[in-house]
Amino acid sequence: MTTSEVTAAAGSGTNRAQPRAAATTAKPPTGRERGSGPPLRARLRRDWPLLAMTAPAALLLLVFHYLPVIGNVIAFLDYNPYAGDNPIDAIIQSPFIGFANFELLFEDPQFWDALWNTLSITVFQLVFYFPLPVILAIMLHNLISNKLRTLIQTVIYLPHFFSWVLVITFFVQMLGGAGLFADAMRRIGWQPWDIMTNPDTFILLVTAESVWKDVGWGTIIFLAALSTIDPNLYESAAVDGANRWRRLWHITLPGLRPVIMLLLILRMGDALSVGFEQFYLQRDAVGRQAAEVLDTFVYYKSIATGDYGYGAAAGLFKAIVGLILILAANKLAQKLGERGLISRS
Amino acid sequence: MAFPLEDAAANRRSFLGLVGLGALAAASGGALAGCGEKSVNQGATTSAARINAIMPTFSDLSIPGMSQPDLKGTPPFSDAYLKYPSNVVEVIKEVPGKSGQTIKAMTPVWGSAPPGLGSNAYYDVINKKLGITVEFSVQDGNTYADKLNAMLAARDVPDLLCVPSWEYPKVPKFTEAAKALFEDLTPFLQGDAVKNYPMMAAFPTDQWRSAVWAERLYSVPNPGGTGFSWMLFYRKDLLDAKGLTYPKTIDELYRVLKEVTNPDQGVWGGNDFFAMIQMFYKVPGSRGGWRVKSDGTVEHKYETQEYRAAMEFTAKLYKEGLIHPELVATKGGQGKQLFAGGKIVFMQDGPGVWANMQSEQQKILPTFKMAPVPVFSATGGDPVVWATNDPISYTFIKKGLGKDRVEELLRVINWCSAPYGTKEWEMREFGGEGTHFTRGANGPVLTDVGRKEIANQYFFISGRKFIGSPRPDLPGHVETTMAYETAMAKFVEKDPWVGLKIEWPARYSQISGQQTEDKITDVLRGRRPMSDMDQIVKEFRDGGGDEARELLRKALS
Repeated sequence: MTTSEVTAAAGSGTNRAQPRAAATTAKPPTGRERGSGPPLRARLRRDWPLLAMTAPAALLLLVFHYLPVIGNVIAFLDYNPYAGDNPIDAIIQSPFIGFANFELLFEDPQFWDALWNTLSITVFQLVFYFPLPVILAIMLHNLISNKLRTLIQTVIYLPHFFSWVLVITFFVQMLGGAGLFADAMRRIGWQPWDIMTNPDTFILLVTAESVWKDVGWGTIIFLAALSTIDPNLYESAAVDGANRWRRLWHITLPGLRPVIMLLLILRMGDALSVGFEQFYLQRDAVGRQAAEVLDTFVYYKSIATGDYGYGAAAGLFKAIVGLILILAANKLAQKLGERGLISRS
Repeated sequence: MAFPLEDAAANRRSFLGLVGLGALAAASGGALAGCGEKSVNQGATTSAARINAIMPTFSDLSIPGMSQPDLKGTPPFSDAYLKYPSNVVEVIKEVPGKSGQTIKAMTPVWGSAPPGLGSNAYYDVINKKLGITVEFSVQDGNTYADKLNAMLAARDVPDLLCVPSWEYPKVPKFTEAAKALFEDLTPFLQGDAVKNYPMMAAFPTDQWRSAVWAERLYSVPNPGGTGFSWMLFYRKDLLDAKGLTYPKTIDELYRVLKEVTNPDQGVWGGNDFFAMIQMFYKVPGSRGGWRVKSDGTVEHKYETQEYRAAMEFTAKLYKEGLIHPELVATKGGQGKQLFAGGKIVFMQDGPGVWANMQSEQQKILPTFKMAPVPVFSATGGDPVVWATNDPISYTFIKKGLGKDRVEELLRVINWCSAPYGTKEWEMREFGGEGTHFTRGANGPVLTDVGRKEIANQYFFISGRKFIGSPRPDLPGHVETTMAYETAMAKFVEKDPWVGLKIEWPARYSQISGQQTEDKITDVLRGRRPMSDMDQIVKEFRDGGGDEARELLRKALS
């Protein structure tokens, strides 16, 4: 097709060439530094302000993310938090039981329920939730009136700042058995639908809640990505006779692709985390069978019942599967020609 | 004890292979077989005789100017005064706080938390009197056990920790936690040593017996209970308006609920009052639901026909939509607001809510009238009433603070333990005169500031056996309460393990909480059939229920 060829040509011809040129000029110095650059001390002297600026963040990461990882050893212990004189002593004095916690875990039907629920919700939301911010961002981007756009953005961002307690209360007030919607149905003589307490449709409910709360927030990153697409491309394409859909398909979506891939990879890493509060708060309403996800499972098995070794085993399992998923997604993205999250040098 | 995975040993390797750990399993060789079992904590019971030696010596207090109560209550219910003492006196001369070091305390609250230190004049009034700052962390009472579990396992406890008596059974290995984290108060309190703390010396000995863990005094009991575990309140004004009266049989209860439920007007029957329905069906309630059958065997309520009948009735209420949908759809307790607003007509709650809500609501709606439903039997014969004389909570002191600090903390507990008729009691209950209460003709009345700032914070450090006291804003309330209690007292279930301190097996603590409650909730709300109860009971028994039964059986013989 001529239009697409022209668009591509226009893209690579003028604008795309620039960043590439910049990249090629930037690369040699990196190579030189690595090979025969100034000695470490000289580099330290040169870079110390930068290092000093990263230090607090690095320290936070170390103290709150890396050090606690060591605590995962309790997954292999019959952990008794009250042994010894302090928490470290408690770890040392608790007997090592190998994989017994994991054996119990994999034998526990409740664990498989939780895993199944988590994965179903992830897959469901990947299909029905993930595309929404992209669509919404494109729609907003195409709005001509700036005022209207700002207004809509503000309105749809707002729910992101509500806590889950508020969001769920809001849903109960609107869609619950004593809410506005049920009231309206009763008024016209219908039997109100059971929305908030039906375990069979719970997946729809939690997705609707998540969409309402976070879809606006999710558009931010796509709007930023959209603003980096050169308007000249659209103009050239329009001149060449490309209609709206063609411009969307051949300019907008390719422009967004790296961001979409990045977020998709990140989402894969989080596949086993679908949130905690949202499920914790609605557990009684729909029952454990429907509302138990891995995070609530870990909570009830460790915090609420005090079996920390067992809860840690479940948490560790979740972390390892998450890591495998994120690496796999990254690999796949690289295979498909994207830069991915963790790029090889 | 049978390890639940006895037969799992055979397929252990295949499962490890499944997760790609075959090589690891091979490398660790026989070690896996040996180290695959978790330890078992069997719990303990402690009889009175074993701990008599460490009991604090009882010495009664005589409060100047105090006469005997006007109305004598039937145990476990309290006595009552019809006239507030005209002249309350200060009985503690010594200022409890000396070090000037802030005391951190954690206590529960049900409902909204009071304003924090710095914006709460109630704290200022009491702390000034104590001569030391007590800084409270007030936590939601409904999820207190979760907080406790996390806090104890992190070994990060405040100077003073309140543990409600129904919460410690939910903490596995609580005794070990007590030994590791809290001060053994025996040397400070046993025998005549308690005389340094005269308010505490007047606690009845049976209260002290409950405060023992591992045969040592690890806590101070709070004898502030009001008897009933639960009460079922109804909106008398609303029923009267409809020409209805409170139910006296289970069928009447159902009919009344059905009649008052009117979704078009946003009115439903009640909140979830399953505990009261259990009483109506005579389900055992001692020690979390245990009883001794006539043949001497010990039985948990889950195993009884009575419990299933109560479940069936409750499930029917859910199925027919008689419970307010908002309470069905979310966790938490907005039940009080719905009841106060007339959106539900029946409400199960603790006994403390009666006077407080009545006095608060009648200012908004003068016709507001709430009253308790007398407990009846759904199946004939005498009803069963759950009530307890146990301490409402226990207060623990952090370990390793040093002798002086422990004594200071005990003096603070002692101050909070002052009885009815003293200035200290009045301040603890009502705060500062003028700010938090005004003095009516017959006793103090809380102001709006008082209602907002006072939420039993110091009471949960230590209280005192609840006593009926006249409320100027609620004439006749004392008499009504006493009449109700006296009527119910003869039906109070006898505790077969009275006087025994029970420390539950760890597995029972785990299974008896959320684990089983989740399943019962599923049945009540129609997500699982009634017939699943057999399976649920089996899981309960295998998961630790039978261990608890064994413990209780041995304790009887």
